[in-house]
Amino acid sequence: MIEFKNVTKRYGDKLAVDNVSFRINEGEIFVLIGPSGSGKTTTLKMINRLIPLSEGYIYFKEEPISNYEVYEMRRDMGYVLQQIALFPHMTISENIAQVPQMENWSDEDINKRIDELLEMVGLDPETYKDRKPSELSGGQQQRIGVLRALAADPPVILMDEPFSALDPITRENFQNDLLELQNKINKTIVFVTHDIAEAMKLADRLCLFNEGQVEQIGLPEEFIESPASSFVEQFIGKVNQDLNLTAGELVAELSVAETESEYPVVKEQADITEIFRLLSNNEAVLVETESGPKKLSRSQVFGYLADKRGVTS
Amino acid sequence: MNSFIETFSTRRGELLQTLIEHIQISFISLLIAVIIGVPLGILLTKTDKFAEVVINIAAVMQTIPSLALLGLMIPLFGIGEFPAIIALVIYALLPVLRNTYTGIKEVDPSLVEAAEGIGMKPLRRLVKVEIPIAMPVMMAGIRTAMVLIIGTATLAALIGAGGLGDLILLGINRNNTDLIILGAIPAALLAILFDIGLRLIQNMSYRRAVITVVSMFVVILAIALAPLLTNRGGEITIAGKLGSEPAIITNMYKILIEEETDYTVKVEDGLGQTSFLFNALKSDEIDGYLEFTGTVLGELVKEPAESNKESEVYDQAVDALESGLDMTMLEPMKFNNTYTLAVKKDFAEENNLETIEDLKSVEDEIRPGFTMEFNDRQEDGYPAVSEAYGLNFSDVVTMEPQLRYQAIESGEINLVDAYATDAELRQFDMVILEDTKRVFPPYQGAPMFKQEFLEEHPEIIDPLNKLSGKITDEEMQDMNYRVTVEDELPNDVAREYLEENNLIE
Repeated sequence: MIEFKNVTKRYGDKLAVDNVSFRINEGEIFVLIGPSGSGKTTTLKMINRLIPLSEGYIYFKEEPISNYEVYEMRRDMGYVLQQIALFPHMTISENIAQVPQMENWSDEDINKRIDELLEMVGLDPETYKDRKPSELSGGQQQRIGVLRALAADPPVILMDEPFSALDPITRENFQNDLLELQNKINKTIVFVTHDIAEAMKLADRLCLFNEGQVEQIGLPEEFIESPASSFVEQFIGKVNQDLNLTAGELVAELSVAETESEYPVVKEQADITEIFRLLSNNEAVLVETESGPKKLSRSQVFGYLADKRGVTS
Repeated sequence: MNSFIETFSTRRGELLQTLIEHIQISFISLLIAVIIGVPLGILLTKTDKFAEVVINIAAVMQTIPSLALLGLMIPLFGIGEFPAIIALVIYALLPVLRNTYTGIKEVDPSLVEAAEGIGMKPLRRLVKVEIPIAMPVMMAGIRTAMVLIIGTATLAALIGAGGLGDLILLGINRNNTDLIILGAIPAALLAILFDIGLRLIQNMSYRRAVITVVSMFVVILAIALAPLLTNRGGEITIAGKLGSEPAIITNMYKILIEEETDYTVKVEDGLGQTSFLFNALKSDEIDGYLEFTGTVLGELVKEPAESNKESEVYDQAVDALESGLDMTMLEPMKFNNTYTLAVKKDFAEENNLETIEDLKSVEDEIRPGFTMEFNDRQEDGYPAVSEAYGLNFSDVVTMEPQLRYQAIESGEINLVDAYATDAELRQFDMVILEDTKRVFPPYQGAPMFKQEFLEEHPEIIDPLNKLSGKITDEEMQDMNYRVTVEDELPNDVAREYLEENNLIE
C-alpha cells in the first residue's frame, strides 16, 4: 500500500530521517516507534506530504506520491493529530463533514455518514451532533478526531501519537476500541507512538526508529524473542518491567502510608492489570501487606508509570 | 438644559444633514480600509519579511497627527469629502491590517496542520478555518478603526468634508457648549451604532454579511454621488476660514456676484486654517477666498511689512502676490481685523481712555489678561506695545482667549487683547483703544483670486469692489455679534447689510 525507498529527510545539515526503506501492507496496523527526535513523526508526515522529503521515493498504491494532486491524495489518507485539533468554531457534525464536503458528497449522504460514525463510537448523534468541541471531554474529542479522519472512508489512516494527550485509563480504552474498530473497517493504519506498551498492543508490525534510522522492523513477538540490537533490547525491556509489577512492588516503590478507608482491597501479589481495572472505577485501592493495608491512589500509580516511561521516551 | 433644547430645535436640519455626511464619510472610509487592510493583512501572513516593513509603514502613517494628515491631503487631492476619506483610510489602515495579520498568524498551528492534513486547499483553509478563528481579533481591529474614523472624521470638517465636525468646530469657535454637545453626542452615539452594526455583521453568514455591506455601500454612494451629478457649470466657489466673519463676508460676495452676473456662487466657509485655504486656491479646488492683508505678508509670502499704514500694506501684499504667486487681491474693506487692546466702556469713560497712550495715566490700576500668543509676539504683541508706548504693567495674566471675557466681566482683569471685530467686544460692552503709534499691522480683508481666474471672469470684479472701503470695525463687530450670539444666519445678516447700504436693490 505504502512503500519507502531510500527516503532521507534533511534539515540543513541535520539528518532527520536517514535512508529509510520499508513497505506497509494493506490492512495492517503499522506502528512507528522510537524515542522523541528519532524521526518517526517526520516519517509519518512525509507520507501525506506535510513534510517534503529530501531524497528517495515514497509510493502510495504503487505510484510515487509526487504524482498525485497533493490535496486529493491527502483525502485518501485520514489524519489524526496528537493535539486532536478539532476546528473549535465548527460543530461536531461540521468537523466530521469536512472531507466528504470536499469530495462533493450530497448533504443527505453526509448526514447519514455522520450518524453512522457517531453510533459506531458510541456517541448518540442527536446529543452530540450540534455541540462544539469545547463541550466534549478530551476522550470524546479524540473520538471525533478519529471520525473526521474516517469520514470519507479513506483506505489509509495516519495517526500521529493520537492517544498521548489522553489520560492513561482513557488511553487503554481507546487502544481496545481501535483494535475493535479495525476489525470492522480494516484500514491500513500507520500509527506513531513513543509508548512501547501501546505499540506492542496495537501493532501488526512494528518499526523501531533510532536517530533517523530503522533499528528493526517486524512482528511484536520478534522484538522480544530476537531483538536486532542492544538498543532494541533496552527499548522494549522497559515494557516488561512495567507490566510485571505487582501491587506489593508498587507499594514498596511508592512508600505509601497506612490508611483505613473504603477502597477495594487487593493482595500483594495482584498484578498491575488488576490494579488498572480497579483504578478505572475507584480513586485508589488498598493493598494488604504484613504491616496492614496500604493505599495506592490512581495518581500515584500513573505518575510513577509515567515517570518510568519518561526515561524511554 | 433649556438652551440646549433650543439649540437642538433650531439646528435640527443641520444636525440631520451633518449626521448623514458623517455616516457617509465614516462608512466609506471604514469599508475601504477593510477592503484594503484585510486582504493585505492576509497576504502579509505569507511573507514575514515583507510584513514587518508594511506594518511599520502603516504605523508611521498613523503617527502623523490627524490635522497634519488632512492638511497634507489638500495639495494632493483638494478639499471636500474625497481627501478626507483618503486621510481617514490611511489613518484606519493600521489596526485593520495589524489585527488581520496577527489574528491569522495566531491561529493554532495544529489546526492549520489538521486542515492541511485532511486535504483542504489553501483557499478553503483560509475561508473555513483561519478567517473564522481569527475573526474576533480581526473584528477588534475593525472596531478600533471604526472608533478612530468616527472621531477623526469630526476634523474632516476643517477641509470642507462636512460632518458633525461642522457643529463641533462652530461650537468651539463661538464658545457655544450646546453646539459642541450637539455635535459630540451624535458622534458618540454613531460609534455605538456602528459597533452594534459590526457585531451583527460578524454574526451573519458570509453571504448575508457581504450582501448587507454591499447594499449599504450602494445606498450611501448613491446619496453621496447625487449632488456631484448635477451640473456644476458656471459655478464659482468662494471659501472662508472658520468663524462668523468669513461666513458673513463670503455670503456678501455670493449675493453681490449672483445679483449682477449669471454665475452662481458656492460658499465653502468654515475651512480650517490659512494654509488649507491657500493650498486649495493653488490647486484650483476653490476659486477665491477671503484673506487679510497682514496675513498675506506674515504667513503666505513671509515678507516683513515695510510700513504699518493700511494702504501701503495692501499695495505691498498685492505686489508680492502678483509677482510671486500669480494671485491677487481685490480692494479691501474698511474694517481692520488686527490685534487691539480693549477695556470695558464704563472703565474707559471713568478714566477718559481713548487711545493706548491714555493707559499711561492709569498704569498702576491696569490688570491685563492677554492670550499667550499676544503676550509673546515680539513684533506686534505686548512687547512691542510696551516699548512703543512706554507701558509696563506689573501683573500680566495669560489665559485662554474665551476665558478673558469672563474674567473681565467679573472684574479680575480690566484690559484684554482682542481682534478689532470680535463679537465679544459688543457682547461685553467694551471699547477699543486706538493704536495711534501703529504698533499693530493692519489686517484688512479682501477677496483673493488667481490672476488667471480674474482674467477669465472679469465680470465679478466690479460687484466685489463695491465692498471696497465699506464696513467699519463697529459694523463688523455688530454683525459678528448677531451671528455668534444671536444665532442669525450669516446669509441674512449679509443681505441686510447690503440692502441697508444700497449695495444691492
